[in-house]
Amino acid sequence: MRSRRAVAWVWGGRAVLFVGLLLAWEGWAGGRDPLLYVSPSRVLPAAAQLLSAYPTLPEHLRLTTGEIVAAYGLSVAVGLGLGLALGLPRHVGEIYEPLLAALYAVPSVVWYPSLMLFFGLGPTSKVAFGFLLGVFPVVLAVLTGLRSVDRTLLTVARAYGAGPGASFVKVVLPAITGTLVAGLRSSLALTTVGVLVGEVLGARAGLGYLINYAYGLLRTADYAALALLALVLVVVVDGGAALLEARARRWTG
Amino acid sequence: MDRVRPGEASTPGPAAAAPSRPAAPAAGLTAGRRRLAQAGSVVLLLSAWEAASRSGALDPAFVPAPTAVARALAEVGPTALGLLGETLGKTLVAYVLSVGLGVGVGLVVGSARHLHDVVSPFLVAAYAIPKILVLPWILLALGLGLAPAVAYGTLQGFFPICLLVIGGVRDLDRTPLLVARSMGARPGQIYRKVILPAALPAVLAGMRLGLVFCLLGVLVVEMFGGIRGMGFLLASLATAFRAPALFAATALVSTLSVAGVVGLEALSRRLARWR
Repeated sequence: MRSRRAVAWVWGGRAVLFVGLLLAWEGWAGGRDPLLYVSPSRVLPAAAQLLSAYPTLPEHLRLTTGEIVAAYGLSVAVGLGLGLALGLPRHVGEIYEPLLAALYAVPSVVWYPSLMLFFGLGPTSKVAFGFLLGVFPVVLAVLTGLRSVDRTLLTVARAYGAGPGASFVKVVLPAITGTLVAGLRSSLALTTVGVLVGEVLGARAGLGYLINYAYGLLRTADYAALALLALVLVVVVDGGAALLEARARRWTG
Repeated sequence: MDRVRPGEASTPGPAAAAPSRPAAPAAGLTAGRRRLAQAGSVVLLLSAWEAASRSGALDPAFVPAPTAVARALAEVGPTALGLLGETLGKTLVAYVLSVGLGVGVGLVVGSARHLHDVVSPFLVAAYAIPKILVLPWILLALGLGLAPAVAYGTLQGFFPICLLVIGGVRDLDRTPLLVARSMGARPGQIYRKVILPAALPAVLAGMRLGLVFCLLGVLVVEMFGGIRGMGFLLASLATAFRAPALFAATALVSTLSVAGVVGLEALSRRLARWR
């Protein structure tokens, strides 16, 4: 265990670094072309006026959140189904997991133009891209978790007369919960990124669209404030997921 | 391959980068049978796709048959290869920068405990932040040429490499370090002779992961900024509604990326044996 003093030093160092970075940014951007460079001291006022400058902001925010929720719901449902279908029967996962892993070696954004062609500029293509990014961590988490299930426990459960349903609930589920919850959390983070990337690359509404809109009009301070808002959204989403993860871990022990 | 989860305090270990390899169960399939089943599934999928597209179950305007995609490849190929060359050139520059900076910073931060404690939360946060939010500003500040693609590609590639290397260095066995230090090795020698070889697996894992991230970054910039290159080609084929050519171009980039990662994997296996 480290002493309290050492911990205080570390946090002090982090605070100094954080303030130093902000000051460096302020000093660097301060004297330059305000159309291109925005200092922190200009971002905060712009953030305060965001709602009056963009009265439709809540609707865009609602759309983006809705897209994230839809994409995440799909990722979890399909990911769990696919993971169990690949992982439960013998050999099936062995055959298809390397193919899935190969898909991981492809930069995900190459699929986005095809999704635009299928679904157009509307929210569907964003949901589809968020889903595409979010489904893999769930599938892989289920597969990893299933591999860690103790076969002996399964045999014992069967010997004591547990049917497939009962052994799934009593043996498999507790064993995979830890991995699964971690996978569900990274899936949520990736889904959020996917939706935002989709919106920035081309959309007619949503937070990413607004960011693009402000940037296109060279309202650079507004753009920075909107990007900050998106960052807050990301942090809130992930913070919520972290809390749920901690609770699930306590539950499984 | 796991991504580092945002907000997670610890850095990823080397295992986080490699796609988890299934530990072959005792009664597993032989490699030959597995390959056969994989190839068979792919052929089956392509034939089903071809049949569905020809019979009209899938609208060929949206999902063209594989044979149509192959024909389109011959047609779009020459343009695509030229643009692919540009994209790969930018990716290569971004990759060299990411690996150089990522490994350098990773070795230093990973081996200095106090520095690590202070700096690593910032690196993890920077990794987790969706980089797409700074992309418009990068284009504003750097224009539409080579620079924004290289900058954004480096931004994408640097953090995962750096975090993997930090994780690798943190997990090192401390004894050889102590021995080298007590024998009077200078810091430069310690880095070169002790830390770097021991952290090599993490470095290689970072190099595999970083390649995909750099390519992704360059493609995003080309798509977003309409800058010459493969990303621009993909985006404009989608807008022009040329599905067969779009699929062919997508397949071309994907194949190339997988080949790059597989090549790096083979290289790292060879290096591991040599070590």
